[in-house]
Amino acid sequence: MSDQHDITPEQLLKEAQDLRWEVGGDFHEKLMETIYTDAAKIAERAITRPGEKSNFDLDRAIDSVVTSRVWGFPIMVLLFTFIFWLTISGANYPSKLISDVLLGTVRPFLKTLAANLNIPWWIDGLVIDGMYLSTAWVISVMLPPMAIFFPLFTLLEDFGYLPRLAFNFDNIFKRAGAHGKQALSMMMGFGCNAAGIIATRIIDSPRERLIAMITNNFALCNGRWPTQILIATLFIGALVPAHIAGLISALAVVGIAVLGVLLTFVVSWALSRTVLKGEVSTFSLELPPYRPPRILQTLYTSIIDRTIYVLWRAIVFAMPAGAVIWLSANIKITGISIAEYLVNFLNPVGILIGLNGVILVAYIVAIPANEIVIPTVLMLTVLITGAKGFGSGSGVIFEIQSNTEMLSLFNAGGWTLLTAVNLMLFSLIHNPCSTTIYTMYKESGSLKWTIVGALLPLGMGIVVTFFVAQIWRLVANIV
Amino acid sequence: MNPDPLTALIIGILFLALLSFLFLPDKGLYFKWKQARILSERALSEDALKHIFLCEQENRKPSLDSLAGVLKISRDQAANLLNHLETLGLLDVSGSGFQLTSDGHDYALRIIRAHRLWERYLADETGYHAAEWHDRAELHEHLLTTEAVNSLSSQLGNPRYDPHGDPIPTATGGMIRPEGIPLTSLPVDKVAKIVHLEDEPEMVYAQLLAEGLQLGMEVRLIEFSPQRVRFWAGGDEHILAPIVAANITVLPLKEEEIVPSEIGEPLSSLNLGESGEVLEISPSIRGAERRRLMDLGILPGTIIDVEMRSPSGDPTAYRIRGAVIALRIEQAHNIRVKKVRQEERQPAMVSKN
Repeated sequence: MSDQHDITPEQLLKEAQDLRWEVGGDFHEKLMETIYTDAAKIAERAITRPGEKSNFDLDRAIDSVVTSRVWGFPIMVLLFTFIFWLTISGANYPSKLISDVLLGTVRPFLKTLAANLNIPWWIDGLVIDGMYLSTAWVISVMLPPMAIFFPLFTLLEDFGYLPRLAFNFDNIFKRAGAHGKQALSMMMGFGCNAAGIIATRIIDSPRERLIAMITNNFALCNGRWPTQILIATLFIGALVPAHIAGLISALAVVGIAVLGVLLTFVVSWALSRTVLKGEVSTFSLELPPYRPPRILQTLYTSIIDRTIYVLWRAIVFAMPAGAVIWLSANIKITGISIAEYLVNFLNPVGILIGLNGVILVAYIVAIPANEIVIPTVLMLTVLITGAKGFGSGSGVIFEIQSNTEMLSLFNAGGWTLLTAVNLMLFSLIHNPCSTTIYTMYKESGSLKWTIVGALLPLGMGIVVTFFVAQIWRLVANIV
Repeated sequence: MNPDPLTALIIGILFLALLSFLFLPDKGLYFKWKQARILSERALSEDALKHIFLCEQENRKPSLDSLAGVLKISRDQAANLLNHLETLGLLDVSGSGFQLTSDGHDYALRIIRAHRLWERYLADETGYHAAEWHDRAELHEHLLTTEAVNSLSSQLGNPRYDPHGDPIPTATGGMIRPEGIPLTSLPVDKVAKIVHLEDEPEMVYAQLLAEGLQLGMEVRLIEFSPQRVRFWAGGDEHILAPIVAANITVLPLKEEEIVPSEIGEPLSSLNLGESGEVLEISPSIRGAERRRLMDLGILPGTIIDVEMRSPSGDPTAYRIRGAVIALRIEQAHNIRVKKVRQEERQPAMVSKN
């Protein structure tokens, strides 16, 4: 090897370059496999495992029930029906309590205070009737269901049931070209779509994660349940005898939620065959051992979390929306308020798709928070129809306690059964709220997919309500 | 003020039809227009250079007809294209034949590099089906700048071969001539390794994919006749028409390179309650997915028990190194195991302590 010193670095590099052709294409894989295998061998020699078998049989016993062919799906349906029922019915009382305090006690106090301090009417209106009221409304409507739903969900997660859900559901998602873990983000979306979109982080592959994000909006979130329940009770329940009215309107709401799940599959399927084409790249799902949930700890952290989240959302999104609502109802150009202009402008479009101008305007101002749709609709209807005896001035969000009163107001606004059905459909299929859109942007980092996620459901909603309206009218004309 | 619902319905349907006609993915006018833009004159010239380069490499003579055929254009257009390339100094037209200048040679190598790297990228990092790689790369090769190609290459760890086994030219233009012989020239009973699967024409490649043939598989020819080629590969017997089998390139193995290995069976073929010892993860699982499976502890020698099946039939949960992991059938199919009987299993575990 006398010429060893004559090799220049360039020659050495060239030699290495040439040799690389010979090692083949998959040497990275081979190298990695050797390292992993060696590591596994070393670990196996060094680690002793004292007989850890105790919980294993219990786990298998639970698994053989919750993932069984016969019981797997019924158990799942029952469990989630129970959770939703608990959320909806359990939230009523605390909601009323919060609303009594914030709206019934604090608001009059603020009003009196403002009057005593001689604050100009428009500041008083903008701040108390606009910003404070919508914030208070969002807190009282949203906080209780969120504080019930999410702790329950976290308990299930803690217990280890949720991965089994994905295990059961995976085949259906696979056929739709999506990932089984989308079942989890979808369930989470029933609580809150923004939370559901954050939950898609558990999906490794970017393509399937985008599908899960874009379709999450079809899970009917907490902010939309109250709208569905109210409209179903007023219009659908009224079609049948009183003693089954509750059942029928509940079924109508469940029907809308199931339609949302079906749309999730259909849209996932369509996306994975067109713009988000590809095969399922990686799939592995760990089914961790069951463990007793830490109930108190979960309840505590989850309730604190949710409270902070709802407060943040109310302040950041609902407060400005409240200001906009109040201003639009009170700034008048030649005697007509901006809100009225908008309603009249959008009315032809609204009527065409079986809704009306009031609903469309409400959906525009409610982009920050879906839960203020109904109060905004009420307020605008009063403004447009000039009905007397509701609320306390224009631009003031209010709630009517009695259903008959509300129904008569809606009838005055020209509502029909078609309006109600289409409102329920549109509430399911429309653009997500601004928090969700913002979360989607943050999580995907892509403006393009955020726009798709926001506009795709809106477009679908308009198409669906349009066709329902035309067919409805055709049938009605014939009958 | 309501329009007649029937009219509105018809207008609505027509409007939707128009929208889908314009924007339907892959078929709509908008996408066709976008594709047409990609397939501009530059793309045609680049494809022409590539064709001529590959012909020269395989010692075939490119002709006006072969060029027109590959690019799907008329002879006149092909002639114009050649003139255009000559004025750019990329091509030497002399008499009846034509050949690449050294600039043309470099240009062609750059396009081939972009094409093969993009195929590598699609194979390793995305979920596109193997049958789609070529067509997508065929479009994308014209869009990548040299810098983009170089950064893609380093991001992928400077791979040397594309997923079909073709060498990827280096940034400086170095490329080896692929070794190997067509499967049809392999002597009967000689063991060889698959080094290349030709991805054109599409129909033939689809057939090779459907047979489950993969790069790196060991093959042994059993029977060769003008009607059919019968051979062993990946634990199965395959029968192909000679014209199809000729698209498989193999490298005969030397005696010492042949590792006697067990073929085993796919993990997906085990029933509930059965166990298997991992032999290998199929070479078709690459990149992130392979790393994921190894992270989970699926390595040669690992014992896997089949635990339970989803009520919808798929996925199946396996017990791997103490954890229960669900895998879909496609993945389980690509893990080869040797069946282990339960009574053999316990001592095997203990002996390693």
